[in-house]
Amino acid sequence: MMYEMNSGLQLARAYVPSQVFTQRFSAMEGLSKGTIFPELYMPYRPRRY
Amino acid sequence: MNRDQVAALKELMAQEFTALEFHLYLDTHPTDQRALMEYNEACRQLMVLKQRYQQCFGPLTFCETSGYPWQWIEEPWPWQISY
Repeated sequence: MMYEMNSGLQLARAYVPSQVFTQRFSAMEGLSKGTIFPELYMPYRPRRY
Repeated sequence: MNRDQVAALKELMAQEFTALEFHLYLDTHPTDQRALMEYNEACRQLMVLKQRYQQCFGPLTFCETSGYPWQWIEEPWPWQISY
């Protein structure tokens, strides 16, 4: 089938678990971090492989 | 722009961002009572901050009242401010 042509790679399956609000950043911290929810704060840190 | 005004503006930005974040969360979690309380509180504080800011420094957005003379055209424009 179509995706078999990609060297046998399977299609990805996306999922989004339901977020549950428990804690929050202060307003100023949220503004600088780009989210008010700590569980969504995921900055991309440069890593050397 | 003096330091106090920039500080007041940052506080406003933070409060509005908070309200927006909870607003978006509530769109998908309308029954989350704690989030709703946080949202309402953020809106209340935002209204107080906006009212206080505009009394001193004039209208923030279109359709806010102005002192005399017309304050909308006063410097600095938002892109001229270093936060």
